[in-house]
Amino acid sequence: MAADAKRPDGGRTPLVQLRGLTKSFGPVVAVRPLDLDIYAGDFFALLGPSGCGKTTLLRMIGGFTEPSGGTIAIDGVDVTRLGPEKRPTNMVFQGYGLFPHMTVRQNIGYGLRLARVAVAERAGRVERIMDLVRIAELAERRPDALSGGQAQRVALARALVMEPRVLLLDEPLAALDLKLRKQMQEELRRIHRQIGGTFVFVTHDQGEAMGLANRIAVMEAGSCVQEGGPEEIYRQPKTRFVSSFIGEANVLAGERRAGVVTLGAGAGFAEAGADGTVSVVVRPEDVRLDPGADAEIRLDGRLEDVVFLGPYTRYRVVLDSGEEVVVHAGDAAGQAVGERVAVGWRRDRQRLVQGS
Amino acid sequence: MTAVSNALWRAFGALVVALMLTPLALVVLFSFTDNALTNFPIERFSTRWFRTLFERAEFWKAFGNSLTIAGSVAVISSVVGTLAALALARLGERLANAALVTLCFPVMLPALVIGIALLVFFNKTGVPFSLATVILGHLVITQPFVILIVYARMVGFDYAAVDSARDLGASPWVAFWTVTFPMVSTTVIGAALIAMAISLDDFIITFFTIGGGNTLPTYIWGKVRTYLDPSINAIGTILLALTIASTVLALRLSRYRG
Repeated sequence: MAADAKRPDGGRTPLVQLRGLTKSFGPVVAVRPLDLDIYAGDFFALLGPSGCGKTTLLRMIGGFTEPSGGTIAIDGVDVTRLGPEKRPTNMVFQGYGLFPHMTVRQNIGYGLRLARVAVAERAGRVERIMDLVRIAELAERRPDALSGGQAQRVALARALVMEPRVLLLDEPLAALDLKLRKQMQEELRRIHRQIGGTFVFVTHDQGEAMGLANRIAVMEAGSCVQEGGPEEIYRQPKTRFVSSFIGEANVLAGERRAGVVTLGAGAGFAEAGADGTVSVVVRPEDVRLDPGADAEIRLDGRLEDVVFLGPYTRYRVVLDSGEEVVVHAGDAAGQAVGERVAVGWRRDRQRLVQGS
Repeated sequence: MTAVSNALWRAFGALVVALMLTPLALVVLFSFTDNALTNFPIERFSTRWFRTLFERAEFWKAFGNSLTIAGSVAVISSVVGTLAALALARLGERLANAALVTLCFPVMLPALVIGIALLVFFNKTGVPFSLATVILGHLVITQPFVILIVYARMVGFDYAAVDSARDLGASPWVAFWTVTFPMVSTTVIGAALIAMAISLDDFIITFFTIGGGNTLPTYIWGKVRTYLDPSINAIGTILLALTIASTVLALRLSRYRG
């Protein structure tokens, strides 16, 4: 996991500014009024389950979907009403959208040809970008003679050769098999490092977002529910949805009255805040079986299942309240399935979120 | 067992093909004989019937009319049909299907009904009969084919390619000519050829809407009524050569270079 990168802005204006951006399709609201800043040099992930509006948001930035309201500014220029051909963005589409009647070289040179870049310069730029994404040997092929991974690289090269201010990628790795996906992730990181551009991509895969992005916006039902670095989002999820969408999380129901939280499973602790239902979120790797004295929260239950997974062992414990707690521990402690066990964790390892 | 049934199927296939092609072969064969009647035995091969045909001014007139009509029908129906198909592809599937059924109505009607309907229509509206009325009449039946063929191509169309073109700096107009059209051009040319073929051999609608003059089919009809001579075979051979030549040409033209 990449370390939570410091904001690269240093007080500068963001490269992409979305203000009150919204989109409705008839009665269906795809994107609720949303503000978002993306800074130059960011590798930015729009992460969310399918139907959360992330692709619609990306297409609005690229100019393919007209917003119902709000504004998009890139480099301080309002581009809300401009068509895709007039924006300093280029997009890699999910289905790649390669031109089947042109060779790879012609596909990549298409945009430069339209921009009337001189033949010699055009050829040079196409060669350089093909070297960068490592497809030089495919130059004379047609798209139907390319594998999925190769087509992906061609689409990437075709967008990058335009030297966009912002590169947009719609589920860039979704169509590739697992091994290729890992490889392309590394490639994308290398290319981003090498050219130092600003990349914005859409994904439903939290592993992909964590593995690529230095900033992540988590989207749910058309809204951006949390934005931040990967570690911040993992460690300090703002809502229960974020906590369970990013990585594995134990969520336990509780209630807060006059500053005291009581868990349905038994334990209680003092934490100031409004009265009402709350949820305690704790990561499996932060929970201990047979916790030591430093664990402020302790609960009892029965060991239901043990799975050895190599780097860690996964224990599933059913609490007396009927709720489940998953524990990831590095060392097999020797408890047998069916035994009564205690689980516990430190207060500073848990997150408290309002609501259930 | 499988070898035997394979051989049987192959023989059956060959028989079907032979039955379909024999009449065509006979037409070509007899067009090059010296016989005064279309019959065996063939004594001598000659181009006599072609020469007879080429000497007749009315043949050239009918030939010219046929080309004018078929050419216009092919161009108009492929342009209008492609535009219609592009628009239909953007509608929802249910709306598009309803529109297609409506548009294809003329294909389901007997040509005779359409011919008479057009005759009455042009008569009542006072439009003088000419090649233009024949072209309009042919469009009624060729248009649905073009729309159906091009629409079928658009259903599996990769719109991301067009979006990509726009993204890379193409205006809607430039994106159409550099990406959309090259991607569907083979289909459009194929559809235009089918429209042309339908127009070339249509007799009924032509007969009702032409007023005076002839196309090749009405010319043949006129000749058959008076005297059956092998020059009809020569006309058939010419039509055949035209169709094959234009198909080959269209396939070569549709290769994208660029």
